[in-house]
Amino acid sequence: MTLVKDSPPATRRARSAAPAADKRRGRRENLAGYLFMSPWIAGFLLLTAGPMVASLYFAFTDYNLFNTPKWVGLDNFTKMFDDPRWQKSVAVTAKYVVIGTPLKLLLALGVALLLAQSRRGQAFYRAAFYAPSLIGASVSVAFVWRSIFSDNAIVDRAMSAVGIHAGGWVGNPDWILYSLVALTVWQFGAPMVIFLAGLKQVPRELYEAAELDGAGAFRKFWSITLPMISPVLFFNVLLETIHSFQIFGSAYVVSNTYCGPADATLVYTCYLYQQGFKNAQMGFASAMAWMLLLAVALVTAVLFWSQKKWVHYEEDAR
Amino acid sequence: MGTSRNVERRTILKAAGAGAAVFGLGATAGCGGNSGTSADGTVTIRYSWWGADERAKKINQTIQLFEKKYPKIKVKTDFQDYVSFWEKFQTQASGGNPPDVFQNAVTFLRKYDKRGVLLDLKSQIDAGNLRLDNFRAGVTKVGEVDGKQLGVPVGSNTMALVVDKKVFQKAGVEPHPGWTWDDYFKALKTIHDKTKVPGDTGYFSIMYLYDLYLRQNGKAFYTKDGLGFDKADLTEWWQDGYNRTKAGIITDPKIVAQDRPKSSLSAGHGASEFTWDNFTVRYTAEGDSEYGLAPIPTMDGKHTGQYLASLMLSASSRTQHPKEVAQFIDFMVHDPEVGKIMGYDRGILAATEQYDAFKPTDPVNKEIAQYEADTAKAGVLGTITPHPSGADTIEASFLRIGGDLGLGKVKTSDAVKQFFDEAQAAFQA
Repeated sequence: MTLVKDSPPATRRARSAAPAADKRRGRRENLAGYLFMSPWIAGFLLLTAGPMVASLYFAFTDYNLFNTPKWVGLDNFTKMFDDPRWQKSVAVTAKYVVIGTPLKLLLALGVALLLAQSRRGQAFYRAAFYAPSLIGASVSVAFVWRSIFSDNAIVDRAMSAVGIHAGGWVGNPDWILYSLVALTVWQFGAPMVIFLAGLKQVPRELYEAAELDGAGAFRKFWSITLPMISPVLFFNVLLETIHSFQIFGSAYVVSNTYCGPADATLVYTCYLYQQGFKNAQMGFASAMAWMLLLAVALVTAVLFWSQKKWVHYEEDAR
Repeated sequence: MGTSRNVERRTILKAAGAGAAVFGLGATAGCGGNSGTSADGTVTIRYSWWGADERAKKINQTIQLFEKKYPKIKVKTDFQDYVSFWEKFQTQASGGNPPDVFQNAVTFLRKYDKRGVLLDLKSQIDAGNLRLDNFRAGVTKVGEVDGKQLGVPVGSNTMALVVDKKVFQKAGVEPHPGWTWDDYFKALKTIHDKTKVPGDTGYFSIMYLYDLYLRQNGKAFYTKDGLGFDKADLTEWWQDGYNRTKAGIITDPKIVAQDRPKSSLSAGHGASEFTWDNFTVRYTAEGDSEYGLAPIPTMDGKHTGQYLASLMLSASSRTQHPKEVAQFIDFMVHDPEVGKIMGYDRGILAATEQYDAFKPTDPVNKEIAQYEADTAKAGVLGTITPHPSGADTIEASFLRIGGDLGLGKVKTSDAVKQFFDEAQAAFQA
């Protein structure tokens, strides 16, 4: 708890003209604030920050959980690029992100546009579409997914009825990843709610003015709605992309813990988990974790850079 | 404003109080974990194993018997399924906090010996706390590494061919001792032709079976410190396996993937499977058919390459109570009542006191006993293949890569290279 005492009071915001007594009270309140935060701070330091620093160190060592970590420099990082399974895991994850994220956002936006129009029962539909986002990430749903995408289960039968005899997706290395994509797309409710909020913010008068000029529905969407909700769209793209990179639970459960068949669902975190906790290659696994962080940071940076080109904040638009 | 502020404070205080309580509890638990001896001299030991509810029920009964006989020793238990068990164990052991006594198997013995996790039970045997006599011939060897006794067998088993009796009968196929691989693969084809069921669920990715095949050819899966075969050997084994999968006499690996965690044999998608003989108990519970045991095919009409393997109890080198742990192991492997409760759940009971005490009455367990007796009588049992550190990872790699190969997603030469690379990494880890 020394941290609380030593930390400089973050009282920049306190009015400088305030009397000394007020200042002291402010400081006391800050101290109390830190004290109340201390369970969280302790948890953050012990369970998040500490392990992160440790894993940064392990990333440069040969460490099997039992030995004293041996410094190997960049070996773990160079080894990744020679490892066919690592390459595979990158390819699988990239495919999942590139296919799943746009589909999910398109569906979310589409349904949000429909819901924004409807007057009646909006609350019901909103809740109904949002529900999968609440339960979708759970392990039990992944189990259900596993069974509906098996041979002769509902998906197989529906597809056979229209003449596509693909069999169950779960055992098929060419199809199983799409069952995971379907699982994430199905949870479009969360970005949808955010889109809905964004759509409500678009001023009515813009549409009225456009209608007077004879703009059609598509033109209104393209020239008004899309630019006006582009900050919300940006936010959703960013969040969903970062989230997609971290996929683990659904791949782990739908493939019955082994991220197969033929490594078809070997997403990045699953390979990391296998190397770290099954093969006890903790140094390599740590290096993988930092590599993922770098990759996500890079993608985020590119997205932020790109927003200059397509995201319009309200001040610019008016 | 004033009231809402008060409410907030009260809520926050409550939350802080709860937080403090959690921290307090954490601290207490931390202290309790270390010693395991209470003021009145009662010792608590931790015992973990892998298995399912059925096994847990039986083990809990045996622990009650133990605690009755040794009132000063309390046993705390913990169990998971096989894969989770070893993941948890690895984490616990690396943190210096493994269970005092635990179920163990030969693939993990050298790995954890190398890491200094296992207690050499020799001193406890010499002190008379643990008896190593009255065991089935040769079975205690399984727990020996470099002159140290690192595990004591609770049950022993051998690799066997588990068959779906109904499908075999329908196809008119009759396995017999000394049958050859040619006979076996012809039988698979007959079964597939007559019943449409693939004859086998994927023999070529099972490490323990390939070991037997290699032993029949004067080699083995492992030497003391490496692989006992070369890339050409494995290329041939896997290429044949792939061709047979394509021909339909081996279950499509897509189906195998969907059947998990069930076996494709008990799911009715294959007519036979190479595995440990005590697994018929599990398959009988899982599947709809009747399951029996058949001899391992041979090269020369005689040698099957089989040996006695076993599940063992091992102790942690960090245990504070080696004597109590030794007494516990002794009780669990020798006490006749324990044998009656456990039956053949973990293989044929290894010590004669237990073996004699349990007489199977149901056909499945009777057949296991008969199979073991026949195998022993045939004189085909040899010395167990050494399993170097890393064998556990290698077994998993062999299964995974073999399965990928069957799916046709990878060329045989690439699969073989991948396996050798992963094996190399596992030996070094």
